[in-house]
Amino acid sequence: MTELDTGAPVVPDTAPPDRKTKADKGFLSRAGIVAAVLVVAIVVALLQSGSGLVVWQSVVTGILTGGLYGLIAMGLTLIFGVLDIVNFAHGAFLTVAMFLSFGMIQATGLHPYLTLVVAVPVLFLLGAAVHRGLLSGAGGRSLENQLLITLGLSLLLENGLLMFFGAEPKTIDLPGDFQFPLLGAVVAGSRLYAFLGAVVLGGLLYWLLRRTRLGTAIRAVAANAPGAALVGINVRRMHTLTFAIGTACAGAAAVLAGPLVTVTPTLGEQFNITAFVVVVLGGMGNVVGALVGGLLIGLVEQLTTIYLGGQSSLLGVFVVFLLVLFLRPQGLFGRRA
Amino acid sequence: MSARMLVAGLGALALLVTGCGGSAPMGAGGAAAGRDEGPVKIGALHPVSGSNAVDGLQMRRGAQLAVDAINAAGGIKSLGGRKVELLTGDTQGKADIGQSEAQRLISAGAVSLVGTYQSAVSTNVAVVAERNRVPFVMDVTASDAIFSHGYRYAFRVQPGSKAIATAAAQYLKAVSEQAGKPVRKVAFLHEQSDFGSGAADAFTAAAKQLGIGIGPNISYDATTVSDLTAQITQVKASGADVLAVAGYYRDSLLAAKAIASVKPDLSAVWGVSNGAYDQPKFVTDAAAVGNLYFSTNYHYDATNPETVALREKYQKQYGDPMRTGAVLSYDAVQVIAHGVEQAASTDPRKVRDAIAAAQVAPLTVGRGPIQFAPNGDNRNAFPVLMQVRDGRVQQVYPPEKAESRPDYRVAWRP
Repeated sequence: MTELDTGAPVVPDTAPPDRKTKADKGFLSRAGIVAAVLVVAIVVALLQSGSGLVVWQSVVTGILTGGLYGLIAMGLTLIFGVLDIVNFAHGAFLTVAMFLSFGMIQATGLHPYLTLVVAVPVLFLLGAAVHRGLLSGAGGRSLENQLLITLGLSLLLENGLLMFFGAEPKTIDLPGDFQFPLLGAVVAGSRLYAFLGAVVLGGLLYWLLRRTRLGTAIRAVAANAPGAALVGINVRRMHTLTFAIGTACAGAAAVLAGPLVTVTPTLGEQFNITAFVVVVLGGMGNVVGALVGGLLIGLVEQLTTIYLGGQSSLLGVFVVFLLVLFLRPQGLFGRRA
Repeated sequence: MSARMLVAGLGALALLVTGCGGSAPMGAGGAAAGRDEGPVKIGALHPVSGSNAVDGLQMRRGAQLAVDAINAAGGIKSLGGRKVELLTGDTQGKADIGQSEAQRLISAGAVSLVGTYQSAVSTNVAVVAERNRVPFVMDVTASDAIFSHGYRYAFRVQPGSKAIATAAAQYLKAVSEQAGKPVRKVAFLHEQSDFGSGAADAFTAAAKQLGIGIGPNISYDATTVSDLTAQITQVKASGADVLAVAGYYRDSLLAAKAIASVKPDLSAVWGVSNGAYDQPKFVTDAAAVGNLYFSTNYHYDATNPETVALREKYQKQYGDPMRTGAVLSYDAVQVIAHGVEQAASTDPRKVRDAIAAAQVAPLTVGRGPIQFAPNGDNRNAFPVLMQVRDGRVQQVYPPEKAESRPDYRVAWRP
């Protein structure tokens, strides 16, 4: 198995070399099946709608929103994979970063994307503080503990934002946003940037996890915390660092997604469920899997709209989700730990 | 054990983060407590926390302004000038909280209730009001279902969902014919819950009667939708010449952005009970994108000098433009005070009978005085057509309520 085409599973591959080709075949056949199913879905959509343009626009929109979902899910999958924490506050972190970005734009007139410089470090510190203060003891502990802590935190953050900024919806305008036609479909510049941002962030995380000492330490802690401690890795520090990197990713996602949404304190709820589905599809802790899973969910959502005339696009998403859980509980690109 | 712990924990959390947004009950001691002496109490139930807090607070203030106006004019004259007092409750936008708050305000001596902005909450409050035999005058409640149960104590000031959608179809026919481009086929984009689907169904029925074609009918999930480009492309491919949109603020703004990028071949974008297209905020958020958008909805009467004066007063007092919801709350409190005045009593049953027979001039657009049909719906509730023009929302049809003439074009196709 070459590392590049499997994404970056956080769990190191401990399989002996002779099993590598088998895993490789398994991966390729899975990717093939997914691609084939998508092609069939697109053909059926074509027959259903009878308009090539509508289906093509749906595919383009699906890929673009899918990139956004992947972007939002990346930090979440990292936290899930390494710390085993079901982080229900991820959406709220995203919202906090968006308000931070909005506030800075209002105060200084900065270009929205430049607020990355502040949003990412601030969210990093916030994540570190939250992990140290609230979650240190919850990793790997009973599920309801983590659920309650992170859910409580998200309620706290949401209501704090509500108190501070009010419920009035706010919009972030991207100066010089443009549209261009792509074979008849419309692509908005801001959405394309968010998609490219997802690819870049995925690449960065992949590089961090696979090519740096820090990444190796993080993966070691994920694979076997007591073992990592024995060879001198500070497990608690790695956990805090991972959580902080995960929330910093939410910060980056928020800045890129800002111009695409209407900013309200409850915005996080809009993406929370989708992000969790994407994480499970892509395999816990697999950042490239999160990107692919995001694309898949984006496409499924848009195509469901064509099939069912918009009777909840989430229906299609959950059908796919349940199928995957049933057939591959470890996710499409995850592996049995 | 674990499930119970989870539930208990969640309950505790919910309590932790809920602010106390209502007035304290004053000596709640049975239904008749404190009705016979002191001020006459009216209970206002609105969502002043949660995601609808902006509108909820607007409406509470509108009700308060009405109470202030009544007191400034000498209180309830038939009761020897007794003053009126507003008891407030926060529904948090939740049906169960609305229900318990309604019970609390009734126990505190409210002779009537006003509220609640959300249909689901009003449905529950109407049940409490009916059980306690206390009149409930709804300022904003879109759903028509509440008025099919034969409740005696439920009244509504705003035009209902069906009335707005029917008027939207009639106005569309009239305005398009006036412009020499009679409407052929309407695509309907709506959010998928009761609110959007109800508007779509009522509009479709009315359009069929008028001989207007309908299709395609496209729905979306307002809570999760993040891009409507594909849906607008469907509209473009369908050859419809008008797009009707029934959604909330956020999703309707998304639709406007998608329309701007896809540029479908339309003669008009037609809001139906739309949560965005008649809001000043939409005019600033969408800027050039939202220019010339139409919207059929309830609205404060911009042609009535009394309404203009009230909105100026609100602006001065709270530093915020007064929205239609707040003006409807003002109207509802006026109706209640009028009922108490006519009944010369604080017995809720007598007040109910007086309200049922009342005729009160509204500050919102109406066909005449507020007057209730046997089912409790306002007979003269009257939606108006608005359009975004020259950077503000203007009333454009019917002519007797118009500030300017409708301009049946779209901004991206001169």
